Amino acid sequence: MTWSLPHFRRAVARAPGRLLALVALALLAIACNEAHPRNTLQPIADTGDISAWFYHMLLWVDVVILVLVMGVWTFAVLKYRQRPGDTELPPQDFGNHKLELIWTVLPTIIVIAITVPTVGGIFKLAERPDPNQKIIVVEITGKQWWWEFDYIKEGINTANELHVEAGTQVLLHMTSADVIHAWWVPRLGGKRDATPGRRQDMHFIAREVGTFDGQCAELCGASHALMGTRIIVHPPAGEDSYQHWVEEQQEKAKEPAAGSPEEKGRKVFLEKGCVACHSIAGVAELAPGARSRTSGPNLTHVGGRTRIAANTLENNVDNLAKWIKNPQSIKPGALMTNLGLTDEDAKAVATYLFSLK
Amino acid sequence: MASIADFAGAQPPVYHQERESKYGLSDWLTTVDHKKIGILYGISGLAGLAVGGLEALLFRIQLAQPDQHIFVGDQFNGLVTMHATTMVFMAVMPLIAAISNYFVPLMIGARDVAFPRLNAFSYWTFLFGVLLMHSSLIFAEFPAAGWTGYAPLTTKPYGAGGIDFWWAGLAMLAISSMIAGVNFVVTILNMRAPGMTLMRVPVLAWMILVVQFLLAFSFPPVTVGLILLAFDRTFGSVFYETSMGGDPHLWQHLFWLFGHPEVYVLILPSMGIVSEVLPVFSRKPLFGHHAVIFSGIFIGFVGFGVWGHHMFTSGMGPIADAAFAVTTAIIAVPTGVKIFNWLGTLVHAKMRLTTAMLFAVTFIPQFTIGGLSGVMHASPPLDLQQHDSYFVVAHFHYVLVGGALTGLFAGAYFYLPKITGRLLDETLGKIHFWMFIIGFNLTFFPMHLLGNNGMPRRIFTYPADAGWNTENMIGTIGVVFQVVSVLIFFYNMMVSSKKGAVAGSDPWDANTLEWMIPSPPPVHNFDFTPVVLSERPLWDHKYTPGFEITVPAQREEIHMPSYSWRPIIVSGFVLLVLIGLLSHIWALSVVGGVGIVVGVYFWVSEPV
Ligand code: HEC
Ligand SMILES: [Cu+2]
Repeated sequence: MTWSLPHFRRAVARAPGRLLALVALALLAIACNEAHPRNTLQPIADTGDISAWFYHMLLWVDVVILVLVMGVWTFAVLKYRQRPGDTELPPQDFGNHKLELIWTVLPTIIVIAITVPTVGGIFKLAERPDPNQKIIVVEITGKQWWWEFDYIKEGINTANELHVEAGTQVLLHMTSADVIHAWWVPRLGGKRDATPGRRQDMHFIAREVGTFDGQCAELCGASHALMGTRIIVHPPAGEDSYQHWVEEQQEKAKEPAAGSPEEKGRKVFLEKGCVACHSIAGVAELAPGARSRTSGPNLTHVGGRTRIAANTLENNVDNLAKWIKNPQSIKPGALMTNLGLTDEDAKAVATYLFSLK
Repeated sequence: MASIADFAGAQPPVYHQERESKYGLSDWLTTVDHKKIGILYGISGLAGLAVGGLEALLFRIQLAQPDQHIFVGDQFNGLVTMHATTMVFMAVMPLIAAISNYFVPLMIGARDVAFPRLNAFSYWTFLFGVLLMHSSLIFAEFPAAGWTGYAPLTTKPYGAGGIDFWWAGLAMLAISSMIAGVNFVVTILNMRAPGMTLMRVPVLAWMILVVQFLLAFSFPPVTVGLILLAFDRTFGSVFYETSMGGDPHLWQHLFWLFGHPEVYVLILPSMGIVSEVLPVFSRKPLFGHHAVIFSGIFIGFVGFGVWGHHMFTSGMGPIADAAFAVTTAIIAVPTGVKIFNWLGTLVHAKMRLTTAMLFAVTFIPQFTIGGLSGVMHASPPLDLQQHDSYFVVAHFHYVLVGGALTGLFAGAYFYLPKITGRLLDETLGKIHFWMFIIGFNLTFFPMHLLGNNGMPRRIFTYPADAGWNTENMIGTIGVVFQVVSVLIFFYNMMVSSKKGAVAGSDPWDANTLEWMIPSPPPVHNFDFTPVVLSERPLWDHKYTPGFEITVPAQREEIHMPSYSWRPIIVSGFVLLVLIGLLSHIWALSVVGGVGIVVGVYFWVSEPV
């Protein structure tokens, strides 16, 4: 049999290892070239910093242990083989009490060294925000399959895109209206479950201005994968300031000009039954108590959102029309009814909604 | 020097048996022989491995590229749910049960398990549970709430009919496992050969003993959880319904109080296998034999106190988080002890790198990687990022595939020759090994990066600009490697069991009692009950003068259990109860309930 040919055997024995190393290196190089907009190790907030700190600390501990184990392992596997023709038994070594003691005590010390800062980190993350400083408080409710944001004090009700101010404390009260969800924006920090019947708080101070993506992290049904979210961090001052956004949101929906396509769209919106589930301030409002499990996002300023359907599609007239005509074709199981609008009606509503900046 | 041939002269024992077993199908349906039940478990487990692997292949195809539409929404969620449920309960657990059934009595020098008919009952209940759960594909749709089945996604308003098959199937598997647990605890504690003190019990049997305690104590909580769910879904109770005062966290606690010990149920047997295989192919004893056993026991105990580490994001509060973080970190110590002792076994060894040994040796670094990533998310501040992300997916696959399954493959190459009497082909075995290890690492190593880069688990699609494309493509390619490697393994088993080289009693120059008897062993296992003088009875028989196992001059008189229809019939009635609950045809449940009572009466009064 060819198996016994030493050359062949050696080649076969080495080829997979080398191939694996090469392929892994090549692919890793490609992977590192991709942009990683959701990198947990490039946090933009204080909470994310804490998580990243623990990552790096534990990574070092792990790497040292792994190098140690792999070192002994590789050495042993390469060196301690039975050579052909050698029938003598190796020394029958049953163990060593001193070694057992060392490799029980040393890891125990490492474990203690890890757990002390860990407990510190837990309590640091559980601290309440400073009540003497400005706090933006937002009630966030997970719903199949989108996020509702209520700024109670500011009187703003919006969806999927959380607007906050850089450098200011943000406190989120999280809950769910149906199943368990988890709100996760990786660059912001850790996720928290939004559980029905419970409120869980999370707070952070974002320091970088910009837009950061995230999504639901707890399996929540058919469109779990498409339950995205986004956080938009505004600068404290200037044209794009957080305050400016708040004032915009507090306005009622823009009146379309008489006879404009937007006005036609509004008519369709009012007639086709969209109002059973959607509020538009100044046009048709759902009382909070009248909301059902299927009722949808507040559309007062929907045109001002960057994305629609929970960070699933770019916000533009075409996508809005596509969504309105057939939500389930975009998100499986979506709880918005397909009302069977004609292309024309869909386009008209979409034009109207897109104008609601 | 003494040798294995010394036993050839022993006379087979004189039998007493009420009814001889018959041949053909009815023999398999009525068997109470632990070896046959082991084979049944093994075949079921391999079938489960094939099904679970196919499910993984399908959803990996969906995930190979961004924005694909092959399996979307609950189709994908169903595949993920069934993949995990199948792999845990219908592949790895029955494969472990196969090894426990076939080998524990042989290793401890017994003729069967303590309760042979109960053992058959465990198997049939397991099989009916598996079939019941998979029949959801015909009668409803795959359950799609994840293998963790978090309420309220499993409750009536959110979970479709497939969930009913899920809880009912799991309930049967739970019954089967609890009963098997008790059976094996009794067996290992009471039926050891003379001279086999607890510290002389082989490490694999020891780990299986720990596992049986875990089964017996961890399945009750989840069974309670399942019963509450069944009441919510069937009778409209509100255990998990928040608007009526129920609490979804109740399920999470009950599930993980089972779910974490379950992790050790899956990994400890493979640690046991590795602890048997490494010494044999190193030709020296297991380093720190007692430390390996005690660390296993310690892991089993502490394993009951760590379930909260699955719930760090749920908002248990800082004190509970801190307590679970500490207990979890503690488990790293006994795990490390095992790893270092395996390394100690390899040092100064004379290794024979057979396929079994290759798998066993590779278990060490792969399991170590899984253990070390576990140390990372034992820390709640970091776990808040890693929980439910692909980092965790990488972690538990390193433990369960790189660890548990790799160990089981080592066990297959090592132990199958005892069952079939023939060696597996080494060339095919090595191809299997390399393809599997390469594929496994291709799939799962990059998942650590995916998790760091913010990819949540259980999503059926992802946008092209999230930066997850390369790793997902590599992952799918890796799965193809793994699938092909396992197909080669199946082919190897089929061909080698007929045409492979004849194994003989002791093909590996092994240590323990199962290798002193012919392959395959006779129905009564041992011609005579060996007296055990050390922890390596067979090795010492061969190599240590003064420790020979002596063949008694007299033939033994033994009693062998008869075949029985009772277990499978009672098991069928259990199935009937659940079918009644699923279909709301209560009469079926009533008939099933009465059947169980009557059946058990006849079971108890049956002469064995
Ligand atoms: C049965 C209730 C229901 C009805 C009726 C309904 N919707 Fe919706 N709508 C929803 C829900 C629920 C969502 C959120 C879906 C998701 O993202 O998964 C939604 C989302 C939307 C969005 C996206 C909002 C965003 O911020 O991403 C738009 C736009 C929209 N609906 C427009 C309409 C229009 C126009 C109509 C009438 C033709 C309508 N809806 C009728 C329930 C409804
Ligand atoms: Cu969700």
